[in-house]
Amino acid sequence: MFADWLFTGFSILSVLGAIGLVTFRHPMNGAMSLVITLISLAGLYALLSAKLIFAIQLIVYAGAIMSLILFIIMFLNVQTDDLPEEKDRFLYLIGGGVVLAPVFFFLKKIVQSLPASETTIVGNGFGGVKEVGLLLFKDWLLPFEIVSILLLVALIGAVVLAGKRRVSK
Amino acid sequence: MIQDYLILSIILFCIGILGVVSRRNVLIIFMSIELMLNAANLAFITFSRFHESMDGHVLVMMVMAVAAAEAALALAVVILLHKHKGKLDSNVFSLLKG
Repeated sequence: MFADWLFTGFSILSVLGAIGLVTFRHPMNGAMSLVITLISLAGLYALLSAKLIFAIQLIVYAGAIMSLILFIIMFLNVQTDDLPEEKDRFLYLIGGGVVLAPVFFFLKKIVQSLPASETTIVGNGFGGVKEVGLLLFKDWLLPFEIVSILLLVALIGAVVLAGKRRVSK
Repeated sequence: MIQDYLILSIILFCIGILGVVSRRNVLIIFMSIELMLNAANLAFITFSRFHESMDGHVLVMMVMAVAAAEAALALAVVILLHKHKGKLDSNVFSLLKG
């Protein structure tokens, strides 16, 4: 089936991007790998018929947040000499993999004990802007307002932190 | 089918934890945290698809807003630390060690 092939391709791309993120030395290469992961995750959201989240993932995550991170990496002008020496990072990666393997198999066992559910055909409006918006402004109104306060606080905090000028030295 | 998506989500989350515990570059650590948030988002979307309720989509939007706030604050902190120490090594940033 065509959707299965798409799922396989997107999942392989996303895992490769994530592995690239944790293995590349320079943060710019890592950020580019993360962009690949985010875009293939957007494809997976489209496969799961989440249309609004697909668009938001592309615009907000792969667009806004990643360009912010890339801007900071370029702003700091990171040279290869400035990077921390991570000669033994592959050793740490192998050690972390050994520690995380039981966690992975435990979670995998939990997931495989879930009741198998058949793929049903959802309605035409599932995941569209109108339906999610109605849900957001009816059932989730209070969390939505709290998130707006959180964004305001983060904005003020970022301005206070990054815009600080030292008066006396 | 639902198991495949959830196992992919677990794999991405484990790679994110691996990045946090094994790397020393603060930017890489920050991006690994973003990767973990995305893995959680994939699990949310999967469950909401297979239960045919859209609450998961709303929660994913909340997570994205929190990730944006986190990105703004964390990058401001990285700029400050880089200004003070001139390095991106997380071992150097031991101001709270006492």
